[in-house]
Amino acid sequence: MIDRLRFVLMETWESLTRNATMQAAAISTACIALILLGGAGMALYKLDATAQSLPGQFEANVFLKMSATREQALQLKAQLEAMPEIERVTLTPREVAWEQEKQKLAEDVNLADLPNPLPDKLTVRVRDPALLPAVAERIAQSPLVEEVIDSRKELQTVMELSRLVRWIGLGAGGLLLMASLILIYNTVRLTIASRQREVRVMALLGATLRSIRLPFVLEGMTQGVAGGALAATLVLIAAAFISDYFVRQWPFLRDMPPGLPPYIVIVGLPALGALMGGLCAWWATRRHVHI
Amino acid sequence: MVELKQVSVVYGEQHALRRVSLSVEKGEFVFLVGATGAGKSTLFKLLYGELRPTEGEVWVLGQPMHRIKPRELPYLRRRMGIVPQDYPLLPRKTVWENIAYGLRAIGYNESAVRQRVAQVLALVGLNEQARQMPNQLSGGEAQRAAIARAIANNPPLLIADEPTANLDPDTSWEIIELLMRINLRGATVIVSTHNRAIVDRACQRVVAMDRGQILSDVPRGGYPIELDRLHATVML
Repeated sequence: MIDRLRFVLMETWESLTRNATMQAAAISTACIALILLGGAGMALYKLDATAQSLPGQFEANVFLKMSATREQALQLKAQLEAMPEIERVTLTPREVAWEQEKQKLAEDVNLADLPNPLPDKLTVRVRDPALLPAVAERIAQSPLVEEVIDSRKELQTVMELSRLVRWIGLGAGGLLLMASLILIYNTVRLTIASRQREVRVMALLGATLRSIRLPFVLEGMTQGVAGGALAATLVLIAAAFISDYFVRQWPFLRDMPPGLPPYIVIVGLPALGALMGGLCAWWATRRHVHI
Repeated sequence: MVELKQVSVVYGEQHALRRVSLSVEKGEFVFLVGATGAGKSTLFKLLYGELRPTEGEVWVLGQPMHRIKPRELPYLRRRMGIVPQDYPLLPRKTVWENIAYGLRAIGYNESAVRQRVAQVLALVGLNEQARQMPNQLSGGEAQRAAIARAIANNPPLLIADEPTANLDPDTSWEIIELLMRINLRGATVIVSTHNRAIVDRACQRVVAMDRGQILSDVPRGGYPIELDRLHATVML
């Protein structure tokens, strides 16, 4: 068994070292395709996580008029809680909100002597984010309500960005993936042509089709793994730099949810590369290696 | 051992073989002679399963080659020694590695490989050339190395396609002597050639082919006169 494995690995190594330029071309194309797919995957994961974490997806802040009394505020709260679309309503009394605000800004400014400028606030949580626009609109029509604020715009921006990344990632990554599949197929096909003697000798001596094809399939898988490992390294380095740059530019992004765990990229891209390389090579051997 | 029954091979409208019947018994030494295009290589390809007949039956070592399943073919080929006319040796491997390559390809372990390679190198007289590359060998040595690789698995049937092509008369005779020695050890040997001198000298069974048909089949004889007459007619 070990002798057999050694023979197959030696054959694979000989194939890999025989056509260095073609190998480099196949590995680099696979790498670029996987960088695009991996990069797009990481960005999509981050955007999806961000979108999920936005409270505005489910919540709207309802600011009441200054003239509204506490009793009216509680009445409105009860009305809203009765609506089937609404899961929960929380009242933040203006004095509580003002205390919180004063504490938050205590280091920068002394607000102790100022009168409370804040109104009562109702935080409304809907059961389904899709219902939020209609609910917010209905609440805004109440004579007690000054303003309804939700994060629909931010959410929409994240969603649009997510769509853009998905299309660019899938489109360009898909095209390059096709190119790399063709290139790996072609590299293996050329290797088969250059090893025609060995193939014929093996076939005439009674080697099985599977054992003749296996080194070529391993060659394709190796190209895919090499391209995937290179892509994973570059994607992780680029992600670290980009993330660092964005956080320095916009510090609030520090609170964004974490991205895809690195081990998934480190394992996933080479595995994807191995799969696509192996499949291409298998297809090439099916078409070009016969006994 | 080998039997062809009314075998025809047709490429498009061209008949490569036309209703050929032939039987080779165990332990025989057979020369297949004929000019280029006579159908010798086509017949050999039928024997080792690189080609299927358009019609008729081909039986080798008790197996029906005309309907053998692709997955069964390698195991049958392991019982044949094949010396192809093209690609006799792998150019980047030494003589030793060339012979070992074939054994490794069919799953021999390393200790068995070492043992068998040493035995066949001694049999073909190439012990001293074991570490040489094919381009360092003479034509005769290269052919002996190819024969060594073919018999390394100790097959009961040896098929050699033009093993004396491009060799001088003395070397050609050395190769035929080697094949006859292998035959004496029990293997059935079928050799294609158009070398008149060695056929006359070996005095074995001679099957003559011309334009896809068997012209004559002589149990013990020399190069058939019929072929000479045909060549002469073609020349005229």
